[in-house]
Amino acid sequence: MTADTDVEKGRPEAIRAVPVRHPGRWVAAAVVLVLVAMFVHFLVTSDALEWEEQRKYITSDAVLKGVRNTILLTIAAMVGGVLLGTVLALMRLSANPLLSSASWFYLWFFRGTPLYTQLLIWGAIGSLFPTVGIGVPFGPEFHTWKTQELVTAMIAAGLGLILNEAAYMAEIIRAGILSVDEGQQEAASALGMSRMQTMGRIVLPQAMRVIIPPTGNEALSMMKNTSLVAAIPFSELTFTAQTIYATTYKIIPMLVMACLWYLLLSSLMMVGQHYLERHFSRGVGRAASARGTRVRFRGGGGGQ
Amino acid sequence: MSSSLSKEPAGAPAPESGGLMVKAEKVHKSFGRLEVLKGIDLEVRQGEVMCVVGPSGSGKSTFLRCINHLEKINAGRLWVNGHLVGYRQQGEKLYELRDREVSAQRREIGMVFQRFNLFPHKTVLENVMGAPVWVKKQPKNEVRERALALLERVGLSDKAPSYPSQLSGGQQQRVAIARALAMEPALMLFDEPTSALDPELVGEVLDVMKQLALDGMTMIVVTHEMGFAREVGDSLVFMDEGVVVEEGTPRDVLANPQHPRTQDFLSKVL
Repeated sequence: MTADTDVEKGRPEAIRAVPVRHPGRWVAAAVVLVLVAMFVHFLVTSDALEWEEQRKYITSDAVLKGVRNTILLTIAAMVGGVLLGTVLALMRLSANPLLSSASWFYLWFFRGTPLYTQLLIWGAIGSLFPTVGIGVPFGPEFHTWKTQELVTAMIAAGLGLILNEAAYMAEIIRAGILSVDEGQQEAASALGMSRMQTMGRIVLPQAMRVIIPPTGNEALSMMKNTSLVAAIPFSELTFTAQTIYATTYKIIPMLVMACLWYLLLSSLMMVGQHYLERHFSRGVGRAASARGTRVRFRGGGGGQ
Repeated sequence: MSSSLSKEPAGAPAPESGGLMVKAEKVHKSFGRLEVLKGIDLEVRQGEVMCVVGPSGSGKSTFLRCINHLEKINAGRLWVNGHLVGYRQQGEKLYELRDREVSAQRREIGMVFQRFNLFPHKTVLENVMGAPVWVKKQPKNEVRERALALLERVGLSDKAPSYPSQLSGGQQQRVAIARALAMEPALMLFDEPTSALDPELVGEVLDVMKQLALDGMTMIVVTHEMGFAREVGDSLVFMDEGVVVEEGTPRDVLANPQHPRTQDFLSKVL
């Protein structure tokens, strides 16, 4: 659109003003640029990082096994946490005071104590409950196992993470359920839908929109928190790195290598979360579902 | 009607044609210490269109919600299509119905809400098809045909694949009516169906309701649309402070209100 054609149509000429200058931004940008240059220089020239050493181990069997265990633990903890968390959230919302206070007590304990401490307890679970059995409560047991044999390090790590995660997921899911307009439940009831159908088909799918973003955050922190199961001990990624540098004494290279793996995994998770969010925002906000990437509008000619 | 009431074990009015669709007997409802309904006696015959008017807080919406047991009544009796709503009576004793039984009762009562309450994550067609498929377990193909026919009836066949958020308020409310009709109810409840609409969209919803009335549907309509009440209503009920103040044909009540409270209310809205 040129000014001429606009004038011909009787429109005033488009405004061409001198943009406001932002000297502060230029100074800040220069500072950041220098810092970035220093960092890159450090990455390339520093001897402490020992890229060669990292390359030697990053796809070694031990490290890959650690990565696999990290992934498995994350998946198990999140799936178990979401399932148990849903049950706890529904208990919390129940009209039965016994159910809702049991759920409250659970959250109070697992959110009120550090995960690391909980995992240490799981590591020593055998001394807390020497045996596990199936039978009548306070009565005879049909079968008894030694806890030490039943609860392996993997199971202890998984259970520890699941039970802790469920407490946080319960609150996220409860908030999601409460965010759904009451009219939705009424409409579903008025159509003759049962409580289960209303929850499964109407309320939870809509609650997902509120549940998924914080759950994505939970999954990310969970992926990193799996490193705490070294307390049990169980050999996931960080513990494997530790095991390696215990013999080679190359501490920093192994930890940086672990960081690279964590960054790769978390990047993959962020991509997955993006698609999940898009799926569950169906029908909400005309633009939200159609728009893949957000368009950023730049200020008109700023600074140039 | 009272003689036939005592004959049946549940005290139910016979549901035959021209019989009673809804019977309310001294219905009371309280929220905590606030008594919202203070003894409502009403009868709605099959095929009748009853309009309920009154100031806000008069209990008219609450009464409507009691009819499909969205609210539990505290005293009195309420029958729909011959069934006691929410309870089973054996001798003198009342037993609360299980959730499943309450749901079954609600299937013959359609309800349309002031704020539409369409399911936003489902398309228009899925909204209409949902309940018959999930609740009545009817075959999808059959339901889809019926749903499309219903959407055509409310003038929205072209909106079947749209999501509710892409529709105007009037269109959403017409979908909500189609959704309720998909369950093939014997009775339709309308809770201020046009109150949340822009004025120019009210007409399209009222037209659909008028057509429904002409087709012989039994309807209870809580509304502020006096024109609709006069034109379509078979009876008009004026409620205030939890009681039925006046009842009669819309023409009589609107033109010649007997009670001072009705006169006062109508002078403000007409």
